[in-house]
Amino acid sequence: MEHIYKHKKKLIYLGILPAFLLYLGFVIIPIFISARYSLVEWNGFSPPSFVGLENYAEMFGNNIFWRSLKNNMVVVLASVLGQVPIGFLLALLVNQKIKGRHFFRTIIFMPVVISAVIISLVWSMVYNYNFGLLNNILSFVGLESWIQNWLSDPDIAMFSVAAVIIWQFVGLYFIIFLAALQTVPDEILEAAKIDGAQGWKRTLYITIPLVKDSILAAVVLCISGSLKTFALIYVMTNGGPSHATEVMAIHMYDNTFNGMKFGYGSAVSIFIVIFGIVLVTIVRNLFAKFGD
Amino acid sequence: MINKKNSLIIFIVLIVGILFTSSVMAQETVELEMWHAWTGQDAFASEVLLPKIEEFQENNPNIKLKIQVIPNDSYRTKLRTQAAGGQIPDIMQTYPGSEVQPLVEAGLLMDLEGIIDYWTDDLIPRDSLSAYTFNDKVYAIPAKVNYTHFAFYNKDMLAEAGYTEWPETYEEFKVMGDALKENDIVPISLGNKAKWVLQSIYISTIGDRLTGIDYLEDVLAGERKFTDPAFIKALDVIKELADEGYFNKDANSLNDMEMRQAFYQKRAAMFFGGAWDIGGVIETAKEEDMNVGIATFPQIEGEVAPKALSGVTGSAFSIRSGLSEAQKEAAIKFLKFFYSEETYVDLLRTGSFVPAKVDLPADISPQFQDVINLVNEHQIGPVYDAVLPINLIQTINNGLQSLTTGEMTSEELAQQMQDNL
Repeated sequence: MEHIYKHKKKLIYLGILPAFLLYLGFVIIPIFISARYSLVEWNGFSPPSFVGLENYAEMFGNNIFWRSLKNNMVVVLASVLGQVPIGFLLALLVNQKIKGRHFFRTIIFMPVVISAVIISLVWSMVYNYNFGLLNNILSFVGLESWIQNWLSDPDIAMFSVAAVIIWQFVGLYFIIFLAALQTVPDEILEAAKIDGAQGWKRTLYITIPLVKDSILAAVVLCISGSLKTFALIYVMTNGGPSHATEVMAIHMYDNTFNGMKFGYGSAVSIFIVIFGIVLVTIVRNLFAKFGD
Repeated sequence: MINKKNSLIIFIVLIVGILFTSSVMAQETVELEMWHAWTGQDAFASEVLLPKIEEFQENNPNIKLKIQVIPNDSYRTKLRTQAAGGQIPDIMQTYPGSEVQPLVEAGLLMDLEGIIDYWTDDLIPRDSLSAYTFNDKVYAIPAKVNYTHFAFYNKDMLAEAGYTEWPETYEEFKVMGDALKENDIVPISLGNKAKWVLQSIYISTIGDRLTGIDYLEDVLAGERKFTDPAFIKALDVIKELADEGYFNKDANSLNDMEMRQAFYQKRAAMFFGGAWDIGGVIETAKEEDMNVGIATFPQIEGEVAPKALSGVTGSAFSIRSGLSEAQKEAAIKFLKFFYSEETYVDLLRTGSFVPAKVDLPADISPQFQDVINLVNEHQIGPVYDAVLPINLIQTINNGLQSLTTGEMTSEELAQQMQDNL
């Protein structure tokens, strides 16, 4: 295969070009523009004034920023430790030749294609203190003491929100893993079976190593997606109560567009980018180290 | 032959006519982009302002309004962001005071001095335009006065708890709150997810009363401080209402619409809202056969301005600067038509307060007459988010939420506001 492509490099570049230009214009260049804005103080109207790294200093001195970082880490952990394993288990199940697996495949993937705003509104109702589904079920089965103020209690609001984030994106990783599992050749599995590897052993020693790359890709997607998380939380709690569910993207939005601090907001954005790159690099190295 | 000739003449006349009108239209059709935030749920918009816009378009086929309607919560953010990019529409709703100020300072809006006499001669006192006046120039004409604080209470629920009258003092109010709680009734429905409710509706009036109506200006001028005991006391009132459990427990996860719903569904005995709620409450009370009373916050000990009621002019349109002559003329024509004496009278009829000096229509509803009497007992005081700069609005909006969750004390919030000044 390789030598066929070798002579057609020009064509390949030509094919990549449109997508690359769009990516350049809407992702790469804006990052640099943001980096420049992060060094100025600017309210959007008056001329920007250069302040050096002051925005970053303000950010690191801001308790609310640290709180948003902590909340964001809750989302990252919930996603990596929630979405990926659950998605993988579901994919293993549906990959069996069970009855109705097409139905399950659609159902599990469904939340991914529903608009985040709709999901947020539905879950707001599920979580509603007075007439929400969750509290109603709890009182119905006699667990009144478990009834919570899911979105209004600052101590648990973040976890309530994280649960919805897991719920929404499990389907995405499920599909990625399902596709990966289907590439695992039957012959290898059969060979393993003959060698006496059954059930869990086969999954652990044969299947997982074979789909390792997909797992890495899923974890990287998961981390970057979690760092960008915005819409669900914005609609469900607006970052409240009292910053309890404020993640970095909401902190950035609030300061930029409600507080008209474009410089500070850009500094937070740049931090999100750098933080994301660092996290992903660490994960890749971990995989490289322990993967083999 | 004659028939043929006639039809030929008719044909020519038609062609000429079409060519003529289309060329006239091509020459004189003016397009104006317009943004406003009236989604049409409130009586004042659906019955007066929106029909007015339609009427204008019918009367002026050569002026084409391209209208975008953006719901209130996102309108301000959208306008600010677009303005930062220098991309604002030709005619737009602007919000009073510190909201419109940056647009004015950036030179994005046209001052209306050239035509202001049309209103100030005898319709609107110049004082009523102060929220849109910068450097002695007016930049928008308001349609309404939005009082941001009223108590709407269910008389039957209060009666069940043993109260036939709205309490006179805050102390009595708390006793009533306890009585309601004993009857398993949530005393006050609150929806503070969007964070402005406790600020615009609650602290604006409570603060104005305890600190006096000049307080905010004095603080901004550096003559007084947010750490002033009177302001801390105002914050303490909010904190106390939350700590004593007078609000519904999920107040921070509901929006203001859900807050009203809880009241209409009789899950709470009262809610505090603004003048924009009056029409809806009166209407719903009629439909649902509810016995609703309207009042303002009871008297708190130590008030400096006991009759203060926070309010600010609103529903104002501004014109973008740098329009072509034809556009400018069309925009001014619209403003003059839209903010006419007739509009103000119609607005009064729907239960809105207006900044213009017009006589009350004779057919006004008795309920609204009561509210007018109530307002006339008060004096207007500033609304916090129409006066404070944007970073302080953010601080107090977030801070009030933190007060209710117990993550902050009144002193800490006051100090934080002083620090952010």
